[in-house]
Amino acid sequence: MHEMAVAENILALAEEELARLHLSRLEAIRVEYGALAGIVPEALRFGFEAVVKGTAHEGVRLELVCLPLRLRCAFCKTSFGGEGQEALYQPCPGCGEEFGHSVEQGKELILSRIEAS
Amino acid sequence: MEIPVVRNVLEANEKMAAHVRRQLGGRGILTLNLISSPGAGKTSLLERTLHDLSGEFRMAVIEGDLQTDNDARRVAATGAQAVQINTDGGCHLDSNMVLTALDSIDLDGLDILFIENVGNLVCPVEFDCGEDAKVALLSVTEGDDKPEKYPLLFNLARALVLNKVDLLPHVDFDMARARAFASRLNKDLDIFELSCRSGEGLEAWYSWLRTMRAARQMA
Repeated sequence: MHEMAVAENILALAEEELARLHLSRLEAIRVEYGALAGIVPEALRFGFEAVVKGTAHEGVRLELVCLPLRLRCAFCKTSFGGEGQEALYQPCPGCGEEFGHSVEQGKELILSRIEAS
Repeated sequence: MEIPVVRNVLEANEKMAAHVRRQLGGRGILTLNLISSPGAGKTSLLERTLHDLSGEFRMAVIEGDLQTDNDARRVAATGAQAVQINTDGGCHLDSNMVLTALDSIDLDGLDILFIENVGNLVCPVEFDCGEDAKVALLSVTEGDDKPEKYPLLFNLARALVLNKVDLLPHVDFDMARARAFASRLNKDLDIFELSCRSGEGLEAWYSWLRTMRAARQMA
């Protein structure tokens, strides 16, 4: 349930952006999270609704986008991907190596866009 | 009005973690963040380590728990400095909590700082506490498929301690499977099979600590 802490961080960052732009109300927020980032979208949505309740931003739309896993083979440098975490254990489609894939995409947790008035 | 932002959601935590890392790194202190499920043996590993290496290193512990100071009292009984953080239900430690706890620790002459995170294989992995390395613990009374279920921890950890190996004859834990999946996630992972109860395997863990500590001092 670290989604509650994540939700608080999202709101704090968005409010910083609002202050910088002299705006006062959030209408929508887009957050992109990697498939390995440990985010359960329903839990994050629930946590976010809780942190905006009673603020000027109540009712803000939260758009959650999952970034699929992209791996890179440590040996032949082939870049490949997969839907779920199972891809981590798949042999490299280039050379068959099973060990040591590095994660090129999948650990992100980014506030990527806000709509505000 | 639509505004592109692109900011790391956890940037506040990561900035604070960098601050912790500078403060401890500047003194040559090796800082390790211990992460496991509840009951894998983090506190037992610390008790053994603090006792057995007390003549060699000055060590301190930051204990993270939802409630109670039971663990801080256990490790303080070895003579090491211990500070308890109660998260009051929070599922992980963050760098701000660690920074606050540092105020209660005498850093002069300290060699190794252990952060015992809240027992949880998911949330603590997301929050950098300013450590030099994460150490994952898994005990053989748990499922041997934990590396498959919780890949991010094993991907990010520098070392994996497989504890309670004295119980292997009585459980169905497949050591080869756990090791194979953990190694696939992280080819540089150092793996230690040991028992805090019987003491077997601890010497290799201590050697690793000595190596890590020496490398920290040189850096």
